[in-house]
Amino acid sequence: MLAKIKEFSSKNNYTVMLLALMVILLVFFTITKAGTLWTVGTWKGIVMQFPEFGLMTIGVMFCFISGNIDMSFVALGDFAAIMAVRYMAAHTAEGMSNGQVAGVILVGLLIVTVIGAIGGVINGVLIAYLNIPPVMATIAMQLVWLGLSTALTQGYAVTGVPSLYTEIGHMMLFGFLPVPLLVFIIVFAIAAFLLKFTTYGKKLYMIGTNVKAAKFSAINTKGMIIGTFVLADIICCYGCMLMVSSMNSAKADYGTSYVMSVILILVLAGVLPDGGMGKIFNVLLAVVSIQIISSGVNMFSNLNPYHASLIWGGLLILVLILSTKFTGGGFKLRKSPKKNK
Amino acid sequence: MSEYLLEMTGICKSFSGVHALKNVNFKVRPGKVMCLAGENGCGKSTLVKIISGVYTKDEGEVLFEGKPITKITPAEATKLGIQVIYQDLSIFPNLTVMENLAINSEITAGKKLVNRKRWEATAKEALSKIGYNIDLNAKMGELSVADKQLVAICRALLFDAKLIIMDEPTTALTKKEVDALFKTARQLRDSGIAIMFISHKTEEIFEISDDVCIMRNGENVFAGPTAELTPQQFTYHMTGRELTDDHFIPKNVSKEPVLKTEHLTLKDKFEDVSFELHKGEILGITGLLGSGRTELALSLFGLEHPKEGTITLNGEQVKISNPIKAQKLKIGYVPEDRLTEGLCLQQPISDNITLSSLKRLSNAIGLIKNQDILDDANIWKEKFSIKTDDVRKFASTLSGGNQQKIVLSKWLSNDLDVLILNGPTVGVDVGAKQDIHALVHNLANEGLAVIIISDDLSEVVVNCSRVIVMKEGRIVGEMTGDDITENNILDIIR
Repeated sequence: MLAKIKEFSSKNNYTVMLLALMVILLVFFTITKAGTLWTVGTWKGIVMQFPEFGLMTIGVMFCFISGNIDMSFVALGDFAAIMAVRYMAAHTAEGMSNGQVAGVILVGLLIVTVIGAIGGVINGVLIAYLNIPPVMATIAMQLVWLGLSTALTQGYAVTGVPSLYTEIGHMMLFGFLPVPLLVFIIVFAIAAFLLKFTTYGKKLYMIGTNVKAAKFSAINTKGMIIGTFVLADIICCYGCMLMVSSMNSAKADYGTSYVMSVILILVLAGVLPDGGMGKIFNVLLAVVSIQIISSGVNMFSNLNPYHASLIWGGLLILVLILSTKFTGGGFKLRKSPKKNK
Repeated sequence: MSEYLLEMTGICKSFSGVHALKNVNFKVRPGKVMCLAGENGCGKSTLVKIISGVYTKDEGEVLFEGKPITKITPAEATKLGIQVIYQDLSIFPNLTVMENLAINSEITAGKKLVNRKRWEATAKEALSKIGYNIDLNAKMGELSVADKQLVAICRALLFDAKLIIMDEPTTALTKKEVDALFKTARQLRDSGIAIMFISHKTEEIFEISDDVCIMRNGENVFAGPTAELTPQQFTYHMTGRELTDDHFIPKNVSKEPVLKTEHLTLKDKFEDVSFELHKGEILGITGLLGSGRTELALSLFGLEHPKEGTITLNGEQVKISNPIKAQKLKIGYVPEDRLTEGLCLQQPISDNITLSSLKRLSNAIGLIKNQDILDDANIWKEKFSIKTDDVRKFASTLSGGNQQKIVLSKWLSNDLDVLILNGPTVGVDVGAKQDIHALVHNLANEGLAVIIISDDLSEVVVNCSRVIVMKEGRIVGEMTGDDITENNILDIIR
């Protein structure tokens, strides 16, 4: 039994580390804030909040596994959300039936999907066909999308989200399952399925490990990279649409801090941008852990809100130090291929 | 003063219970070239690392110039005059030759400021030791491997080296460069420096060495003057089995060619290349580096696109636009550089083997069962006797020969008409090399058309039923049967 546990933990060091991290966090907040932590309100907050960046994390995870990185997803998502909200605001009016409004919302989501796909294709073509380093290409595209959004909105928030949309976004199915969480669960299940049970998933890991070898193995690497960015960016755009429902508006710079937290979560989960590694289950654990930290810090109501970032950042550094120690060093994990004799 | 520069007796070393070295004895004479030979994983590198102080020995005695040395550290090894030139050469590719030569002694001397004149003097002194001429301001990374090696040797000589250890220095060199390296080695030998040369290439060892120490499975099975051995005995000691040189004689060659190229031309790479390939034969394409042989192979696999000329496959003219098309046309390609082009090292062996046949293993909508992948991989593991206990382990855990078998199985698990092998046994030890050759012979006899591209002439001679020689992008000769000898090929190549 003990040997089995040992074997499991040596093979799944990230999983063990993240589970331990979660337990430590929960114990810590239970000791310090038991009264606030274990309330329905806190947990409702937690499950309502993480699906937003949870979706984006899943999206960007695909890019990371393929050995790429995406910095443009929030800006792209905001642009898509702005276009969708504009459409929805223009096509809904007082006195429309719920059915009619639902139709408008669906068209809005279709717009989001199409814009996400376009953004993905552009990223993919820049990287796979024009050979621009992924970081450069996607940072440039981030500026392009941000610029487009700002030019369109003069920097103001776009309002007029149909109330049906925000209502659905705040709905509790069966009294306990918030719709955003349901969306997250569905996307998570699809992503896990893609990675585990399809040839796409297999090829994605191989491309991430060695794109040249994949090309020599008759894999359509360019097509795979473009497809991956399309998939990733559509998922990220839906993440932004969840933001729309909680903010009741869309804006050029909503959620910009998510870019860095998503990358951080992925690294914490062992999905490194070197590519070819990482498990989606660990991503889930890391997303929830980060949300617990963030909600936990908020529970200390006597804290000066201007200090929140400082505390949040300090905690993250601590977590990263411990996790790097435990897992044998994130970025160093992958050594360059050994020279053979 | 002892007769020997370095004497090692009864050296043992184990890593977490596994014996890497068992009771190894060997001696190096000053002013002689000593070869340390053995297959991959026999403990050569471990031994070198003990001499250079990277590892500490568990048991045994080391004498340097007759004096016992109890504890060796890398710094102390340098002070004693032991210099190791590793395969990666430990150079700074972004610095110039001068900087590379001078930097170590500058640091040892504790200099804080850069004095260009002094650096230049140091560098010139280093080069003069072997009378080697090179532009001091050339960037190290832009030099050929051979030049890098000579610079590394010069750098080693700056430290009054008494023993220079070279770890497989000839791996990436052409024949001419090897000759130049050996000339330098002899020059150093004659000046009284001992050279320890690590290799598994029979011909080279017989050419250069005075003494030889052969290792197998962590033990030294032979130590003594090279002259006492014949090449056959040498191979026997190294592999532990008798090897025979079978020439390949094709059993059933098809009448009609399966592949035919006419006047194929790729600008600046090759010109007017026309040849035919029949089922059941093994066609060798050989030539020096830069003769266009690799580009020709890539053109047949859709990674280079010749503007002129035609490729005909089974009587039909085809255009091979990319590897996916090549795969559809039943052409497989085992690339030159297994590590960067052939394998995803940090992924399971099973996933590497099945990478090109995922379509066959999955259903119509791309769903795939892990068990099917493992089953398929295990079939190849058995068939090619790939040495691993679990195909779920990373490809990086295997030796070169077994890795090459993975790349082969990756393509053979597809239904192929033509298999192109580019340097199929580069960096593979003698035993595994024989295995791979036998495998390829069987495949040809089963009706596959095989092209072997190689500059290892002995390999070409043993395996090919027909050989095309390329020089500067053109076919300059073709020979069949008994005409295929190393000398005949060399006559045309040079």
